[in-house]
Amino acid sequence: MPDVTLVINGQTVTVPAGTNIVDAARAAGVAIPVFCYHPRLPPVGMCRMCLVEVWTPRVDPATRQVVIGDDGKPVMALMMGKLQPGCVTPVSDGMEVRTATEKVHVAQKGQLEFLLTSHPLDCPVCDKGGECPLQNLTMQFGPSTSRFDYGDKIHFEKPIPLGDLIYLDRERCILCSRCVRFQDELAGDPVLGFDHRGRAWEIISKSDPPFDSKFSGNTTDICPVGALTSADFRFKARVWEVRPTASICPHCPVGCNLSLDMRHDKLMRVMPRENDYVNEIWICDKGRFGMRFIESADRLRHPLIRKGDSLVPAPWDEAIALVAEKLSQIREHAGAASLGGLAGPELPNEDLYLFQKLVRQTLGSPNLDCSTGASGAPEVVDLAATLGVGRGTNLAKSGAGTAVLIMGADPEEEAPLYVLRLRGIVARGGDLTVINPYPTKLERSAARSIRPHAGFEAFAALALVKAVLDQGLIATEFVTARVQGLDELTARLREQSVESLCETAGVSEASVRAAAQAFATAEHAIIIYGRAALAAGEDVLRALTDLALLTGKAGRPGSGVIALLPGGNARGALDMGVHPGAGSRRGMGAREMWAAARDGRLRGMIIAGMDPARDNPAIAAALDALEFVVVQDIFLTETAQRADVVLPTASIAGREGTFTNAERRVQRFRQARIPEYNTPAGWEVMQRIARALPPGRSESVTDARPVAGRRAQRASGATATATMDAPPATWDYAVASDVADEIAATVRGYAGTTYASLGLTRAPEWGRQPDEAVYYDGTSYQNAEGIGIQIAATADDPKTVFALRARVPAPFTRHATRPYLLLAVTRAYDGGEWGRESKLRSRMVPPHVILSVADAAAHSVAPGAIVRLESDAGRIELPVQIEVTLPQGLVLIPDVCGTPLSTIQTGPQTWVAISRVA
Amino acid sequence: MSLLEKSGAEIDAIIARYPQKRSAVLPLLYLAQDEYGYLTDAAMREVATILDLPPTDVFEVAGFYSLLYEQPVGRWVLQVCDDVPCAFCGAEELIATIQERLGITVDQTTADGMFTLQRVKCLADCNHAPLLQANLEYHRDLTTPQQVDQLLAALRRRAESGEKLSISGRYAEQ
Ligand code: SF4
Ligand code: SF4
Ligand code: FES
Ligand code: FES
Repeated sequence: MPDVTLVINGQTVTVPAGTNIVDAARAAGVAIPVFCYHPRLPPVGMCRMCLVEVWTPRVDPATRQVVIGDDGKPVMALMMGKLQPGCVTPVSDGMEVRTATEKVHVAQKGQLEFLLTSHPLDCPVCDKGGECPLQNLTMQFGPSTSRFDYGDKIHFEKPIPLGDLIYLDRERCILCSRCVRFQDELAGDPVLGFDHRGRAWEIISKSDPPFDSKFSGNTTDICPVGALTSADFRFKARVWEVRPTASICPHCPVGCNLSLDMRHDKLMRVMPRENDYVNEIWICDKGRFGMRFIESADRLRHPLIRKGDSLVPAPWDEAIALVAEKLSQIREHAGAASLGGLAGPELPNEDLYLFQKLVRQTLGSPNLDCSTGASGAPEVVDLAATLGVGRGTNLAKSGAGTAVLIMGADPEEEAPLYVLRLRGIVARGGDLTVINPYPTKLERSAARSIRPHAGFEAFAALALVKAVLDQGLIATEFVTARVQGLDELTARLREQSVESLCETAGVSEASVRAAAQAFATAEHAIIIYGRAALAAGEDVLRALTDLALLTGKAGRPGSGVIALLPGGNARGALDMGVHPGAGSRRGMGAREMWAAARDGRLRGMIIAGMDPARDNPAIAAALDALEFVVVQDIFLTETAQRADVVLPTASIAGREGTFTNAERRVQRFRQARIPEYNTPAGWEVMQRIARALPPGRSESVTDARPVAGRRAQRASGATATATMDAPPATWDYAVASDVADEIAATVRGYAGTTYASLGLTRAPEWGRQPDEAVYYDGTSYQNAEGIGIQIAATADDPKTVFALRARVPAPFTRHATRPYLLLAVTRAYDGGEWGRESKLRSRMVPPHVILSVADAAAHSVAPGAIVRLESDAGRIELPVQIEVTLPQGLVLIPDVCGTPLSTIQTGPQTWVAISRVA
Repeated sequence: MSLLEKSGAEIDAIIARYPQKRSAVLPLLYLAQDEYGYLTDAAMREVATILDLPPTDVFEVAGFYSLLYEQPVGRWVLQVCDDVPCAFCGAEELIATIQERLGITVDQTTADGMFTLQRVKCLADCNHAPLLQANLEYHRDLTTPQQVDQLLAALRRRAESGEKLSISGRYAEQ
C-alpha cells in the first residue's frame, strides 16, 4: 500500500494508507485516548473518546483544486467543521491532526463526564481497579466534578453470571462492544449481543449454555472497565499485589504464553502473555481456567510404597532406593530389554530428556514411548519435524497469499487457539479449506469445506495430489532440486483420476480441484492435521506430504505442516527421544510393551506423567502382570494406584522448564512458587533414580558413546551435532538449565536453546503499549521473559531431499454386519486431571455417543436414550446425543474421562453395530 | 405445535422474499408473537433455529424494537401518542380516561387479558391528535370520553366475535 504523510501535533509522520488516525498517532508516539477501539478488532467508533481536530487542505468545489493561501501554503479546513473520531478516520496526505487543543480537551472531559453519569464508581471493590482504562483516563482527562445528579445513575442488579465463567456488572459496562466484537469477529462464536436501547442497553448471551465459547476469558482482558470479570479471579486479589510469573500453557500443542499471577505462593489468576508467534494476546479458557489443579488438595505429597494391598507414605530415600534396587534386579536377572518406560506428552523437555536418558542409556532399554498404547490410539506420524512449518513462520503475519488446508483435525478441541490464528489468516485475506469426516466449527470460516466419508479420507487426500499433477500445479524448481520420485509417483497414480478418487471419497470434485488450486498457487501454504487424519492412517499423511512437496510448500517461512498431536508437549517428547525408534536400536512401543507385559517378556516399567490405565482394563491388567512398576505423577491416578512405588513431582508452577510447541518453538516457563509440598521436578526424580542405580553391565548401554563429560560438552554446545545416542553418561545436574544445556548440546536441532537465549525478547515490534494508561489493549502482559526459539525443521536445510511416497490406498470395505464407523474425537474439556478444582468442570460432559439424525431415527432413539454399541472387540452402552450435521453412518464418541472406549475400539476407526437399549 | 408445523408455508414464503435468510427475522418475530401472544424465550429460539441464526442475535433484535413484546400483552395493544403536539391536544386526558375506564395504568394489561396500554412517541398523524393505535390500527381524534368508551367497546366486540387479531399489526389497515 502506498504511504501517506501527515502531521500530528507538529510532527511529520508517514504511515501506510488506510491507517486510522489513532494508530498513526501511536506510531508517532502520540497517545489518543480510546475505549471502544482495540487494535486487534475492526474499529466501530462507538465511544467518541478519541475525538481530535482533523485539518485537511481546503478543496475548491468548482475547480477541485487545493486552495493555496497568500503564504503559498494550502488553506486548511477543519474536517466537517467539528471534531472527528480518530479510530474510524483514515489518514490522508497533507492532513494535520491536533490532539491536545482546548477543543479536544473539552470533548475528552465531556465524554468522561458522560460515561461516568451511569458508572457506579465502585473502584475500591472492582477487580479491574488498578489496571482500568476508565480509571486511568479519568485521572488523566476527566473532570473532577460532575454536573449530573448522583441520584440519576442507572442501577442494575449487581453482577449477573453471563455464563459459568464470566460475570457481567451492567452498571460498569460502558457499552463499547469490544466483547461482542471479539466474540463475533475473532472467536467466531457470536454468543454475545446487546439487548434493549438507550440507557437500558445491556450485554446478553443467549447461547446454550450461556457464553458458550472457548475464548470467553479474553473478553475480561479487553473489557476497558470492570464490567466483565472472571469467576475464577473475582475478589481474590488486587492486581497490584500479584506477582506475574512467565509461564507456558501445558494443555495443548499451541503452547500459549501465560502469566501465572501469584500472591505469595497462591495462584490468583492466569493471564495471557503476548507472543505474536504463538498466541498474540489471547489464550483459551482451558489455559485460563484450567490451572487450579496445581493447588488441588488431592496432589501427591509424599512418595508411596506398596505394602500389600495399600500404598503407604515413605521417605524419599527409601522410595528411590527401592526403585533403584528393583529396576537393577530386573535388569540383572531378565536383561535391560525387559524394562520399559512411558512418559506423558505433557511433561517438560527436561523431564522427558532425562527420562529417556535414564531408560535408554542408564538402564539400557530401548523400550520407550510417549503414547498410551490404547487400542484406539493412532500411530503417530510426525511430519512437523521434517517438513515444517519453516523456521521463521509467524501465523499472525500470514494472510493474503497464504492457503491453509486442515486435514482431519478439529482445532477448536485439539488446539483451541489455532481457531483464532486461522480466522485471523482468513480475515487478512488468506484461504482456508477444511477437510474432515465430521463437521467442525472451523468450517464456518472456511472458503470450502470438504467432507469425505469416514474411512475414505485417504482418497480425498490423494485426489488433491492427483489434481496437482493433472492441473500442472507442480513447483518445478523445488521439485527438481529437492524431491525424488516424481516419475514413479506419476506412474503409481496413472490409473487414477481425480473424478474417481473424489467419487470414492464422497466429495465434490470441483471443491477438491479448487482446494488443490488454492493450495498450489498460493505464495505460502500450510497443512494442519490432527486426530482424524492420524486415525485415517498413513496413506493420508503420505498424500499430504507429497502435496506439500509437489507444490514446494516446505522449507521456508510461512509454509509447511503443523501436526496437532495429543498432549501439550508431544513435539518435545518426540524430539527428546521418548519413542521406540529414537535410539540406534529400535525398541518396543507402548502397545508392544503391554503385550510383552502380559506374556512376561516385560518385567518392570517406569511411567512418568501418564495414566494409561485410565478407562482401560486391558492395560490395567497388563500393569498388574508386571513385577515392578514405578509411577511418577502429581496425582494418584489409576495407573499410580497400581504402582509399587509412586513418586510425586512438582507441577509447572513449582519448577522451571521448557516445552516445544507444534510449530517447534522451544519456550521457557519460570518457577512461580516454591514447589508444592516440597516435591521435586520430574527431571530431579530421574536423576535421583539414576544416581541410586548400581553401575550397569556395559553391554546394556550399547546406545551410549562416551563423551568427555557435560561441562566440556556444554562449551562446544553451539556446534554440537551429536544425536540422541551420545549424551554424557554423567548425572550431575544442579538446576534445570544444566539439563537444558545438555539438551542444547546433544539433541538434534536444539543447539542454541539455552535458557539465556530462550529468555530473549524482541523489540516492541508488535505495537502494544500495555503499560501506557492512555492507550489500552487489555490486561494481557507484555512479553518481557522471552518469546522462545523456533528450531529448524529438516526441510529448512536446503540440502535435504525428500522422496514422494503417496500411494493408492487399499480399497476400503465396509464391515458386513457392523455398518457404522466409530471415531473417537478429542474434547478440550475432557475431564482429565488438569481440570481438578477448575471452573470448567461444569462444561465437562459425561460420556456419550453422537449419532446422526437419520441413524437416531432409524433406531428410534431420542437424545438421552441409551444405545448399545458392539464391535469385534466388545460392547458398551452410552447415552445418545444427536448432531444435526453429522453424516449418516458415522458415530462419534468424545474421548472424555470415564468413556470405555478401549472396550470397543479395534483401532482408531472401528466398525460397530448399534442397538437401542432404553 | 411449532411455528413451522403451523405456518410452514407462510414462513417459506416470507423467507423467499429475501436474498438472505436472516433478513426474515422481523417478519418471523411478528408471526411468532401473534402465535404465542408475545415473544417467549422459546419462541425467539425457535425463530433462531428456523433462520440458522445465533439465538443471541434474535434476542438483540427483539430487545431493540418496541413493537416486539417480550412480556405478555393483551389481545389489543393500545399505544397512545404523548408527544408534544398530541400533548397540546389532550393526549394526557386521553390516557387518563383509558386508565380510568380499564382500571390499569400505563404498561399494564387488563385482568381479562384484553387490553395493554402504552405510551409512544409521534405516530406521524398529528393533525388528528389525540390519537392511539390499537394493534397498529389508527383511531384518531379521540377527544371525548364517549369516543373512548365506544372505541373500547368496539374493540372488545371484535375480539369476542372471533376476529383474527394481530398484536404485530399484520392485519391493520393504515
Ligand atoms: S462488557 Fe466491557 S467490553 Fe463489553 S461492552 Fe461493556 S464495557 Fe465494553
Ligand atoms: S490454546 Fe492450548 S496452549 Fe493455548 S491456552 Fe488453550 S490449551 Fe493452552
Ligand atoms: S470512538 Fe474512537 S475509540 Fe471509541
Ligand atoms: S405528536 Fe402525536 S402523532 Fe405526532
